[in-house]
Amino acid sequence: MIQFFDLWVQYAPLMLAGLATTAWICALAAMLGVVAGLALACLDSVAFAPLRWAVRAYIEIMRGLPILIFLFVLYYGGPSVGLRLNAETVGVFGLGFYAAAYFAEIFRSGFQSIPKGQIEAARMAGLSGPQIIRHVKLPQMLVLITPPMINQIIILVKESAVLSIITVAELTKNTTQFVNETYAVIQPYVAAAVLYWLLVEAVAQLGKFVERRVRF
Amino acid sequence: MATQPTIRIRDLTKEFGTFSALSGISLDINPSEVVCIIGPSGSGKSTLLRCTSFLEEYTSGEVEIEGRLLGYRRTASGLVRESEQNIDAVRRNVGMVFQHFNLWPHMTVLGNVTLGLRLTKHVPRAKAQEQGRRALAKVGLENFSDRYPSQLSGGQQQRVGIARALAMEPHVILFDEPTSALDPQLVGEVLDTMKQLAKEGITMVVVTHEMGFAAQVADRVVFMDGGKIIEQGPPAKLFNDPQSPRLQEFLDTWKSRNMLFQADGRSPGTAEEGARP
Repeated sequence: MIQFFDLWVQYAPLMLAGLATTAWICALAAMLGVVAGLALACLDSVAFAPLRWAVRAYIEIMRGLPILIFLFVLYYGGPSVGLRLNAETVGVFGLGFYAAAYFAEIFRSGFQSIPKGQIEAARMAGLSGPQIIRHVKLPQMLVLITPPMINQIIILVKESAVLSIITVAELTKNTTQFVNETYAVIQPYVAAAVLYWLLVEAVAQLGKFVERRVRF
Repeated sequence: MATQPTIRIRDLTKEFGTFSALSGISLDINPSEVVCIIGPSGSGKSTLLRCTSFLEEYTSGEVEIEGRLLGYRRTASGLVRESEQNIDAVRRNVGMVFQHFNLWPHMTVLGNVTLGLRLTKHVPRAKAQEQGRRALAKVGLENFSDRYPSQLSGGQQQRVGIARALAMEPHVILFDEPTSALDPQLVGEVLDTMKQLAKEGITMVVVTHEMGFAAQVADRVVFMDGGKIIEQGPPAKLFNDPQSPRLQEFLDTWKSRNMLFQADGRSPGTAEEGARP
């Protein structure tokens, strides 16, 4: 029985290092995804049609593509077109640009939720398009889109497990190493489950905090 | 008239697909004039107002605000759509009050009234707030600065809508059925506010179903039907001596409906004393 817990103590540094890697990659990917998603959603409403088509095409392709295929193409296919990135960088950009498509759709639904009359009133007050987004649309839609955004970030955290396949030493990769070195199964996976849960719970708590802040 | 009209509309048409909402409207609004536009539903009143503010693109014709063409640029090959910035510049002195108020619910009353000042006229916050409070005082809501729109009655919300337009110190305010969304007992406070503005000489174009208001406050009443101006003139003349059968019919309908409530059958048309001096 003592031995059972010993493995956890012994492998704690490896597992915590994996957790840290998962956390920072997901944090950067989420930031990238939110910013790129907002940009996509804004471009989706510009007058220039080819730009809109490009945005729609991007969103359709990204949503239709398994994340694993996208990561493979970036990591293993990249070098053949001169794109040499380390695994962590591929992880951040891969997850980030992948999530951007989903965030863009969340932003779009948020933009659509603002009554047209409010936009007209803002136009008549002389506000420019970007000012309307910043001062009229965003503050109102944050209340609405925070829950689905947090949901999407939680999905992002869990999907980041696929980064283990492109050799990123994140939580799942280190768990596998834990299994391979000890032939134990229960302890590594229980530890991984608990650590993922902690991370997801932290994101959920952050979400609740943000929800309180954006309410008006 | 020697002075340039505040708004000059020539041969304005607006088509929605195959439906002609406006067909050949020409109208001048002169400085300090109060013009009420009346007519049955679907006659194009609101569309005319929305084209005048370019919230709706017009199909042909011209709208000029203080001598500047709105929405389009004149080129050798005809009219070309103007950029958003230039449209904003031309309608800088046009205010608008909406049927459904269209206040921004996430901002306080003062926030609503000062947003345009701060962002488009770049008035510093303190000065904008002072100007905003003055505008709120004009509509009798100086004590409501820190409330949110959802905490106000419909009539109060619409008065905030008026203060929001006023704060920008526009040269003309367009009112799009400002009392149509209000409970009957709240209509009075909004109309009183508007009467006050009219007295102060603010140029106003009011699309309304309130015949009493038109009779008392308007310098000129414009009757529209089927996307055309059928008849226009001073309210006393228009209400007492309608020339066209369509206006007659419109007024009869209105009078008979009003008769249900007024035993003496008085109509605004008989209220000559209400006409403006």
